Amino acid sequence: MHEISLVQGLFQQLAELARQNNMTKVVTVTMEIGPLSGVVEDSFRFGFDILSKEDELLRDAELIINSTSVIYRCTSCNTAHESGNQRPDCCTQCGDSFLIAEGGDELILQKVEME
Amino acid sequence: MCDSCGCASPVEEDTHTKTVDVNESLFAANESIAKTNREHFEKMGAVAINLISSPGSGKTTLLEHTIEAIGAEFRIGVIEGDIETERDADRIRAKGVPVVQLTTGGACHLDAAMTHKGFHRLQKEPGGDKLDLLFIENVGNLVCPTSFDLGEHYRIVLVSVPEGPDKPVKYPKAFTSSDTFLITKIDLLEHFDFPVDEAKAEALHLNPRLQIFDFSSKTGENFDAWLDYLRELVANFKK
Ligand SMILES: Nc1nc2c(ncn2[C@@H]2O[C@H](COP(=O)(O)OP(=O)(O)OP(=O)(O)O)[C@@H](O)[C@H]2O)c(=O)[nH]1
Ligand SMILES: [Mg+2]
Ligand SMILES: [Zn+2]
Ligand SMILES: [Zn+2]
Repeated sequence: MHEISLVQGLFQQLAELARQNNMTKVVTVTMEIGPLSGVVEDSFRFGFDILSKEDELLRDAELIINSTSVIYRCTSCNTAHESGNQRPDCCTQCGDSFLIAEGGDELILQKVEME
Repeated sequence: MCDSCGCASPVEEDTHTKTVDVNESLFAANESIAKTNREHFEKMGAVAINLISSPGSGKTTLLEHTIEAIGAEFRIGVIEGDIETERDADRIRAKGVPVVQLTTGGACHLDAAMTHKGFHRLQKEPGGDKLDLLFIENVGNLVCPTSFDLGEHYRIVLVSVPEGPDKPVKYPKAFTSSDTFLITKIDLLEHFDFPVDEAKAEALHLNPRLQIFDFSSKTGENFDAWLDYLRELVANFKK
């Protein structure tokens, strides 16, 4: 459950942002999470819900998660296969089974709406 | 004036919000410390290796036997990560190399900041200020450690024969983020159903760049190939 420690880090960053902008309440937090980030969306959301309840700044804040996709590129013919989190078994063009993942490992705080 | 839309009239309280674009990875803080760590390791001339596996795959045993075999050839140091005890560090200390134990107090992974502290503590241990090889044994867990760069040069994932061959499929990130895959405890192959070639193919399927070794720390079978690999890593690094 490293999601909890990641949420703790996020909350520290949000507290700092609120202080810099003289804001007292976080309304929405928009994150981008890739299927290869090593972060389980549900666990992250769970951590966010639990910890935000104990936090004056974040109580009632809404978490928006945008999921990204992964490109699996064939090492033989270079064909790109876009996918959610399901890795293709082999290349649809040449049948080679060696595909390299590109992207999909994002865990990005995109924007914060505060008041 | 309302500062969110610029309109002249005062509007209702709840429209006075401000949106800040951040676009920063939550791993950014960890990554910047990891970069510092890497610079520290390089300044010392040490190749740093992060060992990741489920609990009990044989990380500490591997280190004990590696130190016995090439401890006279190379200056080896170890940072041990565990949730609670000092036990693994005691085992390494008994082999006569500098070691520090990091206890994470519940956290299921090491991060770059803990590693940074551990490294500076290690430098103060006798012999810890000049190393060729630095091993970092991560907390036994195949999930969480994969998300945290410690500043290592090589990440090595271990799976032992009794665990079965399906770890690459179940925990892909451990294999896609690693450089090397070690299948350990092959002396137990006769008691467990572990098709070594299939497991290797499955791991390569996830990550074609993986270097793979299979051996037994206990009997020493194939252990020389692992030792030669370490020699090669150190030699390449000194170039
Ligand atoms: N048969 C056999 N047993 C082994 C081998 N390597 C390790 N073991 C045994 O496996 C058990 C766990 O080994 P450790 O080296 O402590 O494993 P670890 O990965 O460091 O464990 P944690 O630090 O708790 O995650 C011990 O009882 C070892 O004796 C091997 O090559 N063959
Ligand atoms: Mg151990
Ligand atoms: Zn192809
Ligand atoms: Zn430092």
